[in-house]
Amino acid sequence: MNRAIRRLSIASLVLFVLLMVNVNYLQVFRVNSLASEPYNSRIFSEQLKNQRGEIIAAGDSGQPDLVIAKSKQVKGGFYKRVYPAGREYAPVTGYDSILATTSPFGQTGIEKAENKYLTGTAPSLAVYNLKGLFTGKPKQGASVYLTISPKAQAAAYSALVTMGKPAAAVAIDPRTGAILAMVSYPSFNPNAYTPINSGKVAKNDKRLRSDPADPLLNRAINDTFPPGSTFKLITSSAAFKTGKVANQSSTISAPQFYRLPGSHSTLANDAGAPCGNGNPTILFALTVSCNTAFAKLGVTVGGDPLHSMAAAYGFNNPNLTIPLPVSASAYPALTDRAQIALSAIGQFNDTETPLQEAMVAAAIANGGTMMRPYLVAQIKAPDQSVVQSAQPAVYANPISAAQAGYLTDMMKSVTQDPNGTAYATAGPPATSILIAGKTGTAQNGVNNSHLDDAVFTCFAPADNPKIAVGVIVKGGGFGADAAAPIALKIIQAYLGLH
Amino acid sequence: MSAVPNVAAAQPSGAARRAVPLPRGRRSTELAMLCFAIGVVAFAYVAVGLGLNGHVPGGLVVYVAGFAALMLIAHLAVRRFAPWADPLMLPLAALLNGIGIVMIYRLQESGRGGNPGLRISTLTAHAALYQLVWTAVGMAAFVAVLVVIRQPRILQRYTYTLGTIGLILLAIPALLPSSHSSVNGAKVWIIIGGFSIQPGEFARIALAVFFSGYLVAKRDVLSLAGRRFLGIDLPRGRDLGPILVLWAISMLILIFESDIGTSALFFGLFIAMLYIATQRKSWLLIGLLLFVAGALLAGAIIPHVHERFTIWRHPFAPGNIQGSSFQLVQGLEGMAFGGIFGTGLGLGQPFRTPLVQSDFIFTGFGEELGLTGLMALLLIFGLLVQRGLRAALATRDPFAKLLAAGLAFVLALQVFIIVGGVTQLIPLTGITTPFLSQGGSSLVASWMVIALLMRISDTARRPAPQPIQDEGLTQVVRAV
Repeated sequence: MNRAIRRLSIASLVLFVLLMVNVNYLQVFRVNSLASEPYNSRIFSEQLKNQRGEIIAAGDSGQPDLVIAKSKQVKGGFYKRVYPAGREYAPVTGYDSILATTSPFGQTGIEKAENKYLTGTAPSLAVYNLKGLFTGKPKQGASVYLTISPKAQAAAYSALVTMGKPAAAVAIDPRTGAILAMVSYPSFNPNAYTPINSGKVAKNDKRLRSDPADPLLNRAINDTFPPGSTFKLITSSAAFKTGKVANQSSTISAPQFYRLPGSHSTLANDAGAPCGNGNPTILFALTVSCNTAFAKLGVTVGGDPLHSMAAAYGFNNPNLTIPLPVSASAYPALTDRAQIALSAIGQFNDTETPLQEAMVAAAIANGGTMMRPYLVAQIKAPDQSVVQSAQPAVYANPISAAQAGYLTDMMKSVTQDPNGTAYATAGPPATSILIAGKTGTAQNGVNNSHLDDAVFTCFAPADNPKIAVGVIVKGGGFGADAAAPIALKIIQAYLGLH
Repeated sequence: MSAVPNVAAAQPSGAARRAVPLPRGRRSTELAMLCFAIGVVAFAYVAVGLGLNGHVPGGLVVYVAGFAALMLIAHLAVRRFAPWADPLMLPLAALLNGIGIVMIYRLQESGRGGNPGLRISTLTAHAALYQLVWTAVGMAAFVAVLVVIRQPRILQRYTYTLGTIGLILLAIPALLPSSHSSVNGAKVWIIIGGFSIQPGEFARIALAVFFSGYLVAKRDVLSLAGRRFLGIDLPRGRDLGPILVLWAISMLILIFESDIGTSALFFGLFIAMLYIATQRKSWLLIGLLLFVAGALLAGAIIPHVHERFTIWRHPFAPGNIQGSSFQLVQGLEGMAFGGIFGTGLGLGQPFRTPLVQSDFIFTGFGEELGLTGLMALLLIFGLLVQRGLRAALATRDPFAKLLAAGLAFVLALQVFIIVGGVTQLIPLTGITTPFLSQGGSSLVASWMVIALLMRISDTARRPAPQPIQDEGLTQVVRAV
């Protein structure tokens, strides 16, 4: 019988080996896939137990920082996310809901983009976490310090609220690319996503998602609008670059009516007015924003140079992150000359984000060098040691410094020349700050049935630029009337401090 | 320096006649190992309190000293009644039992007395104390078995009696009304006035004895007489009949009681013992085929079994995860949450797994002690099985051999069925984890098994009677 017993012990051994192999497989190799199972309540409650890092708007040097997202301890030892600044900062912070582990829509904004740092799981925080393991400190996430200037952000948001139309504004420091303000209206209260009750969160989420005003949309970077006449800056850039126009004093052809090549449509200026003497300087044409001059100039320059100049300014790039993913602004590649003519004045299929609008002004302000836009200035571990610090980087070089100078002169004229489209709202009658800007009024809707979108892009002070702003107001009407005052408020608030 | 061994010194001195040295009982080894096991349990108990609320838990004296006292009593009983028994079995079983009490204490404290976690509704506030009391009953049963059964072969006399008792024990829950026999759908209990036992746990021992006695008596005819059919030696019907009938009845009862796990356990026990007795591999083949066919048939016609197969294959399917496979998934996620080193006792969330104190206690250990702890637990179980099989190999008495091998193998099988079930290796069938799970019947029966195995190893290792040669003519043999 001993032989059978020996065989049986081998069978027992096999059973135990099977169990051991399976347990190893389970607790080593299946750990990650099991942890990411949608209903894993352990992972979920564990995350609620950790203090998530703060998000702080720290763009006003010499001024106190503003905490815009923090974790507050509630009963049961859980942490609840709180957004003290609410709607104003919602496009920046986004939200971190308790559905984050179960739904791809559980997080947005900086909360999503910097989640690894905020939870403290980023590899660069490993050393800190290890220290915490030995000192027995509770797990805590790193804090994210943003480039946002609380003053500029507040001015921008209150200006949009006052306007009361769907709109967005972005302000950039042209020298670094640091984003100083990013607002979108209508906005939502991110605190709707923080109750520790998934049913309540899901209900709030459903309500916000079905709201026709679409408050969850971050219009500053994820919605695109026709740039309208502000695109004339890019057409001018292409004209300088290709040598079709020597400088800001060169004259260009500006008929009162311009028949689009190869079509029967005729383009006129605003209210059918003539453009100077029909052969004005490009500076004058931009100052009063002649459509015929720039449409014709666009055709002269050609579709390819326009397309590559738009791309050099950042159009057609779907991969920009700040670190929030930015929707691509679009300038289509065209061969039809009528379409080229329209696209050269920011109509046809041109679309851009308000961020792109600000980036164009920032590039001109910074002598033709566009800095990569970014929101995160620093990330600090809970012990205040700096984990990561932003390094300003050149993003593109669309034009030369001299060409940027020509464009600056032209944009100054827009606000300083009494004929300029923004003279009344961004020029001497409105402010003593020397602003270089460009208005845009984009037609939209079928047969222009909707009220025009108002666009304004600018930087200030024109001779020493510290801030570049892009504003788009949907259905705002004339750009100078609706968008320029908003840009002015942001500039005043920011330059009042800096 | 010297390469030449000192031969003279190695030889016994010619003058003094030396007695043959007695094999050592190794009881001191047992005591040392037992103290180590008690130490591990004590540290684990303290760790639970520190993990839960940062304090050394109250009741340290009651639990640890009480447990230590029980184990030391068992040790003294072994010294007195089975001095040559295997020295490892008692410490191994004690460690499992003790760590089980600690885990039940940890689970009972969850969400109680200001401790973190959720309260486990199926666990009373005194579950660990009850488990300690059951340990005391288990110890009493352990000592009783050692005292009453001085020779394994005594049991052989009661082969048919025990077979009948086993069947009756199995059948009682099936015959009782559900209110007195059913918990969570499994009709395997005898419930009288809030007091409940699982007779199947004891029936297993009785039937193992019956199988051993019967197969030892019949093994020659079973393995020699018979016909050859399709290359397989089949025994005569009249030899096999009684045992097949008994087995079939027990299977029917188990299926009727919706206890597939125990049913599989009996089947494995039966086949293994038949194989050892007859040494015919054909039995293993027939057994395996019968089992697979039976499992597939059960899966096809019994909805309860069919569901077990479904959740085994698709535990994370949306329709299952919040329903039928919730428990399995919670256990798996708990083990994954523990990872390699575990969260530490008192620091995990085992309370999320339903019935983590009984069927799923292994996943509770996996969560809080990690892969490291589970490997240790599996090794302890493996060692216990190995010591049992060793006793089977060492003993000369065929009946004891068969009984020890059967009991040891069924222990391995039980661990495989429940641990494999909760770790998704095989379909889940709810049976107890020996020594660890909450519940008295399993614990007491497990201690009785250990007592039987120790009795058999004691008989095996007991030195042959010392001949007393006084006159050179008359050989007096000391009565055992």
